[in-house]
Amino acid sequence: MRLDRKNFLVTTGVAAAGAAIGFPAIVGAAPEPIRLGSIPCLTGSNALLGSQEHDGILLAVEQINARSDKVYDGRPFEIVEEDATNDNQSAVSALNKLLGENIVAVVCPVLSTQVQAMAPVMKSHEIPWMTGGTAVKNTQLGVNGMFRLRASDGITAAAMTNFAVKEKHAKKVAILHASDAFGTGGADQIVQNLKKLNMEPVANEQYPKDAKDFTAEILKIKQSGADALLMYIQNPSDTAIILQQLRSLGFAPPIVGSPSLGNQTAMETAKKNANGAYAAVDFIVGFNSNVATHFLTSFYQRFHHNPDVGSGSGWVFDSVNMLAAVYRKQKSTDPKQTIASLKSLKGFEGVLGRFDADAEGNMVHSVSIGQIEDEKLHLVKKVSA
Amino acid sequence: MMHFDPVANLQLLVSGLAIGSIYALVALGFVLIYNAVGVVNFAQGEFVMFPSYIAATFLLPGVAVFGTVVHWQLPLIAVYLLVIVLMIGFGLLFNRIAYYPLRDRGWLPVVISTIGVSIFLRNLVQLTWGSQPLVLPPLFPVDTIAVGALHIRPQDLAIIGVTALLIAFQYVLFERTTLGKQMRATAQDRTTARLIGIRVGRIVAITFVYSALLGTISGLLVAPLFTVTKEMGALIALKAFAASIVGGFGSIPGAIIGGLAIGVIETFGGFYVSSAYVDAIAFVILIGVLLVRPSGLFGERVAEKA
Repeated sequence: MRLDRKNFLVTTGVAAAGAAIGFPAIVGAAPEPIRLGSIPCLTGSNALLGSQEHDGILLAVEQINARSDKVYDGRPFEIVEEDATNDNQSAVSALNKLLGENIVAVVCPVLSTQVQAMAPVMKSHEIPWMTGGTAVKNTQLGVNGMFRLRASDGITAAAMTNFAVKEKHAKKVAILHASDAFGTGGADQIVQNLKKLNMEPVANEQYPKDAKDFTAEILKIKQSGADALLMYIQNPSDTAIILQQLRSLGFAPPIVGSPSLGNQTAMETAKKNANGAYAAVDFIVGFNSNVATHFLTSFYQRFHHNPDVGSGSGWVFDSVNMLAAVYRKQKSTDPKQTIASLKSLKGFEGVLGRFDADAEGNMVHSVSIGQIEDEKLHLVKKVSA
Repeated sequence: MMHFDPVANLQLLVSGLAIGSIYALVALGFVLIYNAVGVVNFAQGEFVMFPSYIAATFLLPGVAVFGTVVHWQLPLIAVYLLVIVLMIGFGLLFNRIAYYPLRDRGWLPVVISTIGVSIFLRNLVQLTWGSQPLVLPPLFPVDTIAVGALHIRPQDLAIIGVTALLIAFQYVLFERTTLGKQMRATAQDRTTARLIGIRVGRIVAITFVYSALLGTISGLLVAPLFTVTKEMGALIALKAFAASIVGGFGSIPGAIIGGLAIGVIETFGGFYVSSAYVDAIAFVILIGVLLVRPSGLFGERVAEKA
């Protein structure tokens, strides 16, 4: 046969196709990766939380993929990530894109407002959804595969209120909260808990998104004669600015904050202004398990900064490891089987402590009250639901 | 019912004037560029944010830059001078890249170009410094001066004082110097300015530099109070833009009065009406002023190119 240009191309093409089809059979096909959907806020004003979540997921996946059997049978995790940005519409669009990527589970977001916006979409996709949003109603939205790996606002707000009233003997409690779903949901829970104690807040102030000057809110709280302030705020930067302004405007009564007050970024940003304040948190460094100690060490080695464990990196790290443990046990990533396994999960030891699923998908049932001193949180007491 | 408290009102006034001063400085940046080249610079907020990050990098210990932790910790004055020099270069570069190549293609490409630079800078900051907020130290060792029940932050007084000095400097610049007169002539009619021998291109470049420096000073003044984040300039720029429209777009006194008015009104509004609606209050005022005086408080004509 004369090897002209046409024959050469045909022969080469057939040979290449044959090689492509036959090669994996000869050397053994690589195990199929398990595609894990991730949707943190990577841009916008909550990018700090999102970057912490990104790092936590990455660390967990790297550690699992470094095992000899990876997740199970040599199958590694593969992260498929979309940016939830800073608004609900973009978050839902990103979720729709993610769901078209052949993923077996979704991890994130931590913002309740985004969890609630995504819930209608997730109702029609029965796959495990590991969330960190703490608004009470998140797990009551009828999404079968939703799990929450942080303490709900019901537990946190009750712990904060009881601590202020029963331990700090506050008679006039004021509330300052963000105007997003997290802040308003938490403030509502505080009001309900105060009612149980036959009390009403003497001031209930909310601030708009991206506000930087809180003079008006703080002066109103001061004028109310409050002897304790409960703050329900998600954004660590907002928390730090408010603490600075509270101190500079001479506010002296005890301050008890939601988890963001006790996260590493808020404490490092607020510096001495956070001294003496209390926070209800999922996690306090030094009062946890070997799992947590290993996580803190490996996180710092990998990223050269400390993690925000509770609201940032810790809960997503636990989410990925929990999914891996379930997949490994059932030797399958079947979503329905995984949801059933997660619903019956008891006693999983993670960075944040022990996880036990309840009927609504809540996995965490206690918080700790800590007091801040020199950018560190010291355990005051543990509170269970 | 809320009672009248003179101390609280004085406190609100100081805070309102401080934040209003920042709006005024940024609004001046908007107006100067609008007068010089006829477009709104939507990267004005990034002129506040970007130098704050540079200052934090040279000033603070342990700042992560592209994942590498640096500990330069230069003296405060040296850092301020360095940032000012860098931002002069930034203003020239901005003029050269975002404005100059598009100067003869109408206002829309230039406006889009400024939006592009704004997005680029925010992403650049995210990539360079990450999402961790940074805190610049205050100018003064004490956080607060307490006079009875009144608590005054020296930083607020510094903001108000520096703004007053800058306004005085700008008055002298525009009224008493050849450069200022050339800038005013260029703002009023670029063609005529060119005909009488003014190097319009150079004046426009100087305007961009001056506008960048106004943003820089605003950033350095508010960073100790607001923390340095990539979003810090966005809301300031939005309010400053509203302030420049309230004052009459293109009017320098209007930008100053508009900025101060919005700062004071939103602070008092937050206290006496509701803190949840401070943004709404500012924009209701904006709409109200435009309904009564479409050209703004000091404006001569309606802004056409916002």
